[in-house]
This record gives sequence, structure tokens and C-alpha cells, in this order.
Amino acid sequence: MESKLIDHLFRYHSGKMVSVLTRIFGLSHLETIEDAVQDTFVKASVAWRQQQPENPEAWLTKAAKNRVLDIFRKLKTEKNLLPNLQQSRDFIAVNELFLDTEIEDAQLRMIFTACHPNLDPRDRISFALKTVSGFSTKEIASALLTKEETVKKRLFRARKVIQKGDIKFHIPQGKALPQRLESVMEVLYLIFNEGFHSNTQETLIRKELCGEAMRLCKMLLKNELTRTSAVYALFALMCFHSARLEAKTNADNEILDLKNQDRSLWHFPLIQLGNTMMNKAVLDAEYSCYHYEAAIAAEHLRASHFDETNWTKILSWYERLYEMQPTPIHILTMAVVCLQNSDSTKAKHYLDLLQPTDLAQRSYLYYGTVSDYYLSIDKPQEAIKNLDLALKKVTNSSEKEYLQKKRIVLVSKSN
Amino acid sequence: MKEFMMIFVGADYADLGLSPEELQNRMGKWFAWGNKMEEAGILRGGNALNPQIRRIVGKNRTVTDLTSTEAKEIIGGYYLVVAKDFDAVQEIAQDFPDYDLDGTVEIREVTVFEDH
Repeated sequence: MESKLIDHLFRYHSGKMVSVLTRIFGLSHLETIEDAVQDTFVKASVAWRQQQPENPEAWLTKAAKNRVLDIFRKLKTEKNLLPNLQQSRDFIAVNELFLDTEIEDAQLRMIFTACHPNLDPRDRISFALKTVSGFSTKEIASALLTKEETVKKRLFRARKVIQKGDIKFHIPQGKALPQRLESVMEVLYLIFNEGFHSNTQETLIRKELCGEAMRLCKMLLKNELTRTSAVYALFALMCFHSARLEAKTNADNEILDLKNQDRSLWHFPLIQLGNTMMNKAVLDAEYSCYHYEAAIAAEHLRASHFDETNWTKILSWYERLYEMQPTPIHILTMAVVCLQNSDSTKAKHYLDLLQPTDLAQRSYLYYGTVSDYYLSIDKPQEAIKNLDLALKKVTNSSEKEYLQKKRIVLVSKSN
Repeated sequence: MKEFMMIFVGADYADLGLSPEELQNRMGKWFAWGNKMEEAGILRGGNALNPQIRRIVGKNRTVTDLTSTEAKEIIGGYYLVVAKDFDAVQEIAQDFPDYDLDGTVEIREVTVFEDH
């Protein structure tokens, strides 16, 4: 007999069930709900060893419905006030909450809850990955390159805030919606970036994070309330980046920069999907930072060789992005772009706007770029000096290796 | 050919904090293993056991109810297979999915009473 299970079915279903049950019982019972849902999967994993049900998803949904009664009994013995589910009218209502559209609605509510302003921004990602995406603390820790203890603390903090009870399990309406949607997009963007940019050796986890961010973003696009041009742009950005995911590492799992990637490995269907999404995103005249980031990513994809990259165009997108997000890292990137475009004078202009401390723990990027600048105006000694400063500040081992290699080449050339 | 029982001993899944993804992967491995034995025509039966334990011990028939957490290691299930000898069953048991969770497979031959 063949397995009928789709990949990640349990993980996906975990998020669905936790969301629906939370809609029924409320956020204050989140922990009970999560335990109950986990229990369903333990049971299924044993019961399905020899024979899988004809329709696994229906089986899991039915199990979740049965859980409603179990949880209800458990909570009742704890003398909590709860709606009287024994009344048949309420039972019908509960059944309706398990329809596909309602499940998606519940999941969106959970995403918006995870991004509530009362939660610490750093806790939002862990909480979303746990409740919405069904990752375990261990999986979250390895995906975010942090300790399991840290993730546990974050989840504990987030739950505590949520259980205080002043957070509603809903998609905010009116004026509150755009603001909250903004932080939802930010969380999805960060989840995606963790997957895309992280230096972890485990490719699988990286892909899963990117896939998860895209799945959740698609969910936003499916709902009328949350389908905005910025969300389209964010989704386009994710498509453009994902198209390059396979080309980002070589056979030895080393990270390759844009210059050294095999562009024939780029995934064309995703680029096409990204273009379609981008066309929808620009129907609205108001652009978000995701519009500009997507435009930059698209510009890179347009060049069939690194040398054909249109740096002038990319710089103009960065200038607009910087207007919207005046952060030091964008200034630094603009300096890098100018150097690629052989415009040392303009690069110097941008570098002069910065202090190394502006980049905090990423100050090695500043020194690295200054080093490139000196190289471009043929001052190798100054270049080496700045590379040494960069090496002093860098902590990540693969970045360090990259800089050291660069130094060796520089020194041998200048001798 | 003789009948052997493979008895699976270890921690209960519920006590190991496995993620939904890990549970699905593990289940897939069990499923594949069962299929493989079935296709080879060597499977005679088997069951998974629920983790609740009621133990009756000694002259006084002392009764205790144990949870899997208290017992630490429990028998999680068994398979009945036909094979030539212990070595053959040991080969079959290579596909047991839970060695990495410190799981144990105990192989026992089923006693056959012969009429004399």
C-alpha cells in the first residue's frame, strides 16, 4: 500500500488545529490546546503505522473535533466558565468552524495575534513559527541559529502576554489593520530572510523557512482584507529570492555570492510568478519598501551575467528605498553598488555619510567596503589596513574565512 | 521456518517532545517497514500498544497504575514474523525506525509444543 500523506501534512495541520481550537476556546487556553493537538499527532503516528486512513486530512480534522469535547471536559473540571457546547445550536456552529475557509480565517487570526504590538518583536517570530507553523522549539532554535533555551524563554514570554487576556483573537478592523498588517509582513519578511540569508549548513531548514513564509504570505493574499499591494510586492520579493535559492550554495554547501552563482540554476517558474505578483503590486500607485526591494531583486535576475547587471538602475531603486527606510545599511549598500558601477567618487560620498559604529555588530561590512574603495582608487596599503579592521570585528566564521582569503590575494598582489 | 516476535522497548513518543514533522517522518518509516515485511510475505501479525500500564505483582496481587513517564521504558508494540533463525530476524530488525531515540528491539522465538 502506498503512503497517502502529503509532505509536512502534520506540521501544516498542527497550525490549522491550534488556530481553530483557539477560536473556539480562546487564547487563554492556548497551552491546553497545543498539548491536545500534539497528542493527536502522537496517536496518529502510532495508529497509522500499519494502515493509513483513506483520507488522512479528514481523519485529523475529525480528531481535532473530538478534541473539542475532550478539552471542554478538561476545562469544565477546572471550573472555567465556558459556553455550553452541549446545546445543539452551538455544536452546529463548531462544525462550521472546521470548514476550509473558516480554518484559513482562524489561521490568519493567529498570525495577527502573533504580531500584536504587546508582544516583543523578537518573540513574535518564535511564537508564529510555533503556533501558526507547527515547528517545535528545537526546530525553531536550529532555524534561527539560537539556543533551544532562548526559544523557550521567548515562547514563555509571548504566552504570558497573551494570557493576560487583553489580546483579542481576531484580524483587527479599521485603522488598526494597516499598522498590524505592517508588522505581520515584517515578521514574514524576517522569517523568509532567516531562511534565505542564514549561514546554517542545514539547507533543509533554510528551505522550510522560506517555504513557510511564502505559504503564510499566500494566505494573506487569499483574504480580501489583507490583500494589499505591499503584500503582493512582498510575495514577489520572496519569489525572486527563492528562484536563486538552489544556486546560492555549491556542491560543498559553501555560500556563493551573486557574482559566482550559476545563473542557469535559477528557477524560472518562480521568476515568472514573481513577475505576475509584481504586476499586481504596482496597480496601486503607493509603493512600499517591499516594492523597491522586489524591484532590486528583479533587476539582479534580469542580468544573464553578473557583468551585465544594471547597477545604475539598482542604485536608483536603493535611493528610493533609503528615502523610505533611512538606515545606515542602505547607505553602505549604495556605496557597494557604486563601486560595482566603477563610480569611486560617489561611493566615497556615501561612505563619508557613515561611521563604523552606525553598523553596530556589522561594522566589519563597513571596513570591508572601505577596503574595496581604496582598492578601486589604487591604494592597496589602505585597503589592507581596512581589511584588518574588518577581520578584527567579524564574528561569523564563514564571513571571516571570506575576508581572510581576500586579504591573502590583496597582499600577494601588492607585493 | 520458525516464528519470532520482535518486541519494541523504549520511551513513549508523547514523552519525547517530537515535533509534528518528526512524528510524520517516523510514522512514514514504520509504514514503509511494515510494507516491506508484508511484501516479503514474512509478517504474521503485530500491534502497537497504548502507553497506559496496569501492573499486578506478587502474592498479594498488588495493583499499580503507571504512566509511560513513570515507567521510563515501555513495550510500545510487537511484530510477529517468520524467519529461518535469529540472524535473519536481526537483519529484518535493521529497519526499526527508533534506534536513534535509544529504542530497543528484543527478538524472541515463539515456542512450539510438539505432540509426542
